[in-house]
Amino acid sequence: MKDKNMNRADFFTSICLFLFGLVILILSIRMPTFRELGANPYSAPGIVPGIMGAILSFMGVILFIRSFIRQGYKIKPSSQAIKIFFKNDSIKRLLVALFLSVFYVVLLGKINYFLLTGMYIFFFVLAFEFKTKKNIFSQGKTLLFAFLEALFIAALISFVFRYLFLVRLP
Amino acid sequence: MFQGLIQLGNELSVFLTPKYIFDILWSTQLGIIVGMLPGLTATMGVALMTTLTYKFASSHAVLILICMYIGAIFGGSRTAILINIPGTPANAATTVDGYPLARQGKAGYAMGLATTSSFLGSMFGMLMLAIFTPLIGNAALRFHSFEYFWLAIFGIIICGTLTAPKDPLKGWISGLFGLFVATIGMEGMHAYRRFCFGNVDLAGGIALLPAMIGVFGFSEVLIVMKQPEIRIVSSKIERVIPRLKDIIKYWKTIIRSGFIGTIIGAIPGVGEDIGAWVSYDFAKKASKEKEKFGKGSIEGLMAAETGNNAAIPGAIIPVLALAVPGSAPAAVLLGAMFIHGIRPGPLLMIENPDFVYQVVTMIFLATCAMFILGLSFIRIFVKMLFIPRQKLMPVIFSLCVIGSYALSAKMFDILVMTVFGLIGYAMKEMDYPVAPTVLGIILGDILDNNLRRSLVLTDGNILPFFTRPISLVFFLFILFTIFSRMKWFETLLNNLKVIIIKSFVREKAD
Repeated sequence: MKDKNMNRADFFTSICLFLFGLVILILSIRMPTFRELGANPYSAPGIVPGIMGAILSFMGVILFIRSFIRQGYKIKPSSQAIKIFFKNDSIKRLLVALFLSVFYVVLLGKINYFLLTGMYIFFFVLAFEFKTKKNIFSQGKTLLFAFLEALFIAALISFVFRYLFLVRLP
Repeated sequence: MFQGLIQLGNELSVFLTPKYIFDILWSTQLGIIVGMLPGLTATMGVALMTTLTYKFASSHAVLILICMYIGAIFGGSRTAILINIPGTPANAATTVDGYPLARQGKAGYAMGLATTSSFLGSMFGMLMLAIFTPLIGNAALRFHSFEYFWLAIFGIIICGTLTAPKDPLKGWISGLFGLFVATIGMEGMHAYRRFCFGNVDLAGGIALLPAMIGVFGFSEVLIVMKQPEIRIVSSKIERVIPRLKDIIKYWKTIIRSGFIGTIIGAIPGVGEDIGAWVSYDFAKKASKEKEKFGKGSIEGLMAAETGNNAAIPGAIIPVLALAVPGSAPAAVLLGAMFIHGIRPGPLLMIENPDFVYQVVTMIFLATCAMFILGLSFIRIFVKMLFIPRQKLMPVIFSLCVIGSYALSAKMFDILVMTVFGLIGYAMKEMDYPVAPTVLGIILGDILDNNLRRSLVLTDGNILPFFTRPISLVFFLFILFTIFSRMKWFETLLNNLKVIIIKSFVREKAD
């Protein structure tokens, strides 16, 4: 990330961090001390997370001041910038990988593990190798290799974990 | 001493059976491949291997994990030399002189030197481990709650400082976040459910391994897919076996780098990459051939590779003696030991003293395997670099998923892995090191229990935290580490230095 963008990211993160620390602190203070049961007040469960929350908030303030001095507050979201962001090839690749992976996790347990893993690998490979502008019949090799890889890996993982490690697959 | 050698001999005889030798060879070779492939790190390799070996007997599983660890840290040197991309972060310093050597047509020779240096580094670190682990373990027996509290803080602060040299604040934030994560779930003193919001799964806490697989596995998958594709150009590989005169010529560099690597490795959470850079830096400063550094210096390459491999046994020293990991892969190793019912820490030398010798033997065997495999089959395994990332990454993610799930068959662990993968990705994008977070998750429990126990013992009096000798040393170290990164403190130190030198010169003149 470039320095300019990093300062902006730090500015945004500092606010989140401050609020996060504050929430932890408040929740910790509200935790019981078990004094009524005769417990020592210094053994209260909220002590350590409370300290963590306070320090995180303090660090958020330091990060805020630093990014403010470096003009990280100059955030101008424009539709043009958002368009450029999503047209970036790196971002496209990241989003495709992220979407497929999260979708795979969401469907786990709802579809047969072997089938789902095979489909995930197949579509992952195709998402990056298949050219939509080209004729499908000229890309038979890509399709075949993706299918074989998906079949082999899904079968291997399922077999190893199900029959060798005796894990009930999700 | 002789008793120790006899013990080592006994352990060696246990592991020198065809079954173990086969396991040592395949796991080390797999480690080399994992390390060689950009995007796959030693931590990811050890984490995934932990899930694949959790049904094995404890010593068998730890042996395979150590082979994977040593193989992967070494394997990264291949890519560093051939394509100027470190296979693992630990090999970043290797690129500086390894790649120029490859461009001079000495790729094979550079790989041979890297193999030999890694071998010597690991062996040096192994000796240090054998000597210092019992000593540190015995010293740690004097630790009480106060000292353990400071040890946890010290680990987070020093790890945060060294893994984020440009901006230590981010390293400390990362460590604190890890400490907070460790407080989620049922606490040990009153069985109170902290930050669970009625969720039964959260009450069990955030398991270390799924979180680590997420932070080091899933986030890496996303990062690799985001980066532009690496065009790999095949280099010609000629002579691989290094000349003995080169090794002898740089013996001082090897010993210095081995020592530095081990020491850096033993610092909580810091790891092999810093070990390599510091060794490289020291070698450059002490070298008679400074001008060659960065242009294909054999000495530079040897320093970096000796340093990173010496850091492996170094990182295992605190694992065994204090139950505090010296690096991210060592953190997974520590987690794996807990899974297998081994309890590392100061009591290890009393409860299970043989285990330290077992680990020394495992490192010895893994290092020998790495040396043999490193000098053979180079041309065949370099071809693995040509596997396209879009074919490899879905396999890695599938293993991340099933690996997180397999340990306790909980869908919640897959969710933890995914969430921590996303958090790890965001952190890496914003220059927050992830190693302190992992260290924080491990040390969180130690810090929480020992701080409260100390306060209960002293009825809220915090003075013993600063008056007990070991506690005071820890406290001063922590203060120095924090202040040493501040400009005003640096200026103050420099001014003090000038004043002392001036007064010394004046005294001499008088």
